[in-house]
Amino acid sequence: MIRVQPGQTELPPAVHQPRQQRRRGWKRYSSRTFYLFILPWLAGFLGLTLIPLIYALLVSFTNFDGISPHWHWVGLSNYRELLRNTDTWYSLGRTLFFTVLAVPLNVAGGLGLAMLLNERVKAVGVLRTIFYVPSIVPVVASAIMWRLIFDRDVGVLNAVLERLRIPVITWLVDPTVFYALLIMILWGLGGGMVISLAALQGIPQELEEAAMVDGANGWQIFRRVTLPLLSPVLFFQVVTGSITSLQIFVQPLLLAGNGGGVQGLGGSVPRGDFFYMINVIQQFLVFDRFGYGSAMLWIFFLVILAITLLLFRSSSFWVYYEADHDHE
Amino acid sequence: MTSFVSARLSRRRFLGTAAVTAGTLAGVGTLLDACSSGGTGPTSSGPTTLTIMGTSGEITPAYIKEFEKLNPGVKINFLTSDQTRLNAMFAAGHPPDIIRGFGIDSAFYNSRGLALNLDPYLAKSSVLKTDDLLPIQNLFRWDGKQTGQGPHYGLVKDWSLDGAIWADSAIFQQAGVPVPSSTNPLTYDAYLELGKKLTVRQGGKIQVYGIYPGWPSAGSYGTGVPAAPAIYQMVQQQGGSVFSSDLTKADFTTPEVFKALQWYIDYANAHVGPSPLDPDATGSWQLYTAKRMALLQLGYWFGGGITSDTGPNAATLQKASVLLPAPQMGPHRISSTFAGTGYWIAAKSQHPDVAWKFMEYFMTGTPATDRATSGWGIPALKQFVSLMPQKTDMQKEAFQEVQSEMQYFAPLRVSPYVGIAAVDTILGQALQQVLHNQLTLPAAAKQITDNVNLLMQQSQQAVG
Repeated sequence: MIRVQPGQTELPPAVHQPRQQRRRGWKRYSSRTFYLFILPWLAGFLGLTLIPLIYALLVSFTNFDGISPHWHWVGLSNYRELLRNTDTWYSLGRTLFFTVLAVPLNVAGGLGLAMLLNERVKAVGVLRTIFYVPSIVPVVASAIMWRLIFDRDVGVLNAVLERLRIPVITWLVDPTVFYALLIMILWGLGGGMVISLAALQGIPQELEEAAMVDGANGWQIFRRVTLPLLSPVLFFQVVTGSITSLQIFVQPLLLAGNGGGVQGLGGSVPRGDFFYMINVIQQFLVFDRFGYGSAMLWIFFLVILAITLLLFRSSSFWVYYEADHDHE
Repeated sequence: MTSFVSARLSRRRFLGTAAVTAGTLAGVGTLLDACSSGGTGPTSSGPTTLTIMGTSGEITPAYIKEFEKLNPGVKINFLTSDQTRLNAMFAAGHPPDIIRGFGIDSAFYNSRGLALNLDPYLAKSSVLKTDDLLPIQNLFRWDGKQTGQGPHYGLVKDWSLDGAIWADSAIFQQAGVPVPSSTNPLTYDAYLELGKKLTVRQGGKIQVYGIYPGWPSAGSYGTGVPAAPAIYQMVQQQGGSVFSSDLTKADFTTPEVFKALQWYIDYANAHVGPSPLDPDATGSWQLYTAKRMALLQLGYWFGGGITSDTGPNAATLQKASVLLPAPQMGPHRISSTFAGTGYWIAAKSQHPDVAWKFMEYFMTGTPATDRATSGWGIPALKQFVSLMPQKTDMQKEAFQEVQSEMQYFAPLRVSPYVGIAAVDTILGQALQQVLHNQLTLPAAAKQITDNVNLLMQQSQQAVG
C-alpha cells in the first residue's frame, strides 16, 4: 500500500506503482499484437480460402461453363440434378468403400511396421529410412511406376508370376484395378509408420514393465497399455487419412493413364476406380459444367464434414487422453 | 526505468508493425501475381507484349526470336497450353492474344463470341490470302449456326487424314498375311479380321497387337485417335448423322451409330488391341515403334514420328511402314480429319493487329516451311503442299496415299454445343459398362444419348 505523506505532491517512482494497472495495459497490448501477427495468415485465409469458397457457392447456383460470358442463375437445379444422378451416388459409394478399406489398412499397417522397427537392432535406422522413402516419392512418379509394374504384358509383377508358373493377371482392369490401387496406396505406409513410431517411443517403458510384473502377456500389454496410450495419435491418423482418402483422384487417374490433355480425363478410369473427385474433375474440365461441379464440391464438403464429426463423436469411446478425467 | 519500459514497448511495437508490413506486402504481391494475365496490356514504355498460348514444339524459342527480330518493339510471352489457365484468363477478362485449338472443336469458342473474325485481315494481307487456303480451313469458319461456312475465326496450321492406318509390313510378312492395298480401303469387318490374324499371344500375354483404332478417352490403352470423331465418320460413311439437322440434339440409338458402337465392342472382346479389357501402360506410339503393333490408326502425321524415331527399330520401321487409307463402314467413302490443329485470336485481344502479324509469320514464314518439310502433317495452305517430304520410299508412298485419299475428304458434322472430349468421355464410360456386362448396348446407347443431350441443352443456354 502506498503511503502518501502530508504535503507530498508527487507519486513515488514507477517501480512502486500498483501491479494491477500495469497488467491491464499489457493485456490490451498483447491482443493487438496477436492480431497483428496473425494478420498475414488471416489475409491469406480470406483471400485464398473463404472468398473462393463463397464464390464457388454462388457459382453452384448458376450454369457457368468456365469460359462463356453468358451464364444464368439456375437456383437449386444443380443440386437437384446431382442428387438424382446415379453417377453421383456410384462415385460416392466407391469413394467411401475405398476409404473404409484404405484408412484402417494404412493405420494398422503403419502401426505394425512401427512396432517391428521399435526394436534396438542393427541398422534399424536404415530399415526405417527404407520404409519411409516410398511415402515421399512424388505421387505422379509413383503412379507411373506402378502402372508399368502392373502392366500385363511387360510389367515386373506378371514376370514374377510367370516365373512362379502362376497365370498372369490383367491388373489394370475391373475388378482387380481397385486392389492394384490399394496396393499402390499402401506402398506409402511409411508416413504413418513414422508417426506411430514417434508415439510408441513416447510411451513410458515403466508402464509396460509394471504390466509385465503384474503378469500381463505381450498381447495384453499391447491391448491394455500401448494401444490406449497410442489412441490419440491413431485418432489423428484416422481423421487425416479419411479426409485424404475421400479426396483421392490423382492416383486412380494416373493409374488408368491419360491419352494426354483433357481428352482422356476420367473417361478411361475403370468403373471400379471412378471416385467422387474424378467425377468432379470431369464436370469441370471435360463437360465445362463449373456450376454443377461447384455444387458437387459443396455437397462433398458437407459429407466430409459429417464424417469428420462422426469420427470426433466416436473418439469418446476409444480415444484416451492422459489428462482425460472422463475415462478415470 | 520509465525509458527502459518504453524502449521495450517500442521494439515490440516495431516487430508488430514489421510483421504487418511484411504480411501486407506478401499478400498484395500474391494478389497482384494472381491477377496477372501475362501482361497483354500496353505499357507506357517498353515493347508490346503478345501473349501466345500453345505448345513449345510448334512455337519454338527460335521462332519467337526470329519473329521478335523481324518485329522490333514486340515481345512474345509464351504460355504452354493449359485449359484451366485459359478458363481463368478468360474469366479475368485478359485472355491470351493467340490460342492453340482444334478446328473440329472451334464452334465451342466461336458460338460464345470468343474468337476474332479474321476475314478483314485475310482481305488486306499480302502474304496470307483466302485463295491460298485449302478446304480444311473451313473447320474454323462459323456463320453463327454451324461450322464450315461464314467468316474464318482461326487458321489450321496443318492437318491429317486421321483415319488412315500405318501398317508394319514386316509383321504382316511374319504372319504370312498380305499387306492390304494403299488405295482401296478396308471395310471395318476386314479390319477386325486382320487384327485377329496379326495378333500374337503367348501365355496369357499379348506380344503383338493386331490393330489399334483408338478408344473413347484413349487412356491407358495408349495415345490414339479419340473415338468420337471416328464414330462420327463411321456414321457418315453409312449415310447417317449423330446430330440433328440443326445440330441441337444427338442420337446415338440410330442403326448407323449402333453399328459403329457394336464394332468397338467386338474389337475389345476380340482382344486384338488396347482397350479397357487389354490396357497397355506403354502407349500405342511406343507399341508401334517397339514393333508390337501391326496396324496403328493415327493418320498421316504419325509418319513424322516414325521418321524422327531414334529407337533400335527405327531403321527397320522406316523401311517397313506403309500408309493405308481409312477403313470404311458404308457406301459413302469419307476420310476426314479428327482435329485440324490451329490457332485463333481472342476477340478480346489487346493487340489484334500484332497478333495477326504473328499469324502471318507462323502460317507462311519459317515455321510453315519447317512444318511442311517435316512430315508431321499435311500443310493447310496450297503453296506448301509440294514441300511435303518425299525422300524415303515410306515418305513417297505416304505422299501418294494422301494425294489419292484427299479427294474423299469431307468435314465431320460436329455440333457446337458439345465438345469432342465430352462425347468421348461419355462414350468411354458407357462402353466400359457394356464390356463388363453392366449395361446392354442398347441401354448404353440410350445413356450416351441422354447424357450428351443434357450437355447440349446446357451449352445452348450458355450460348444464349
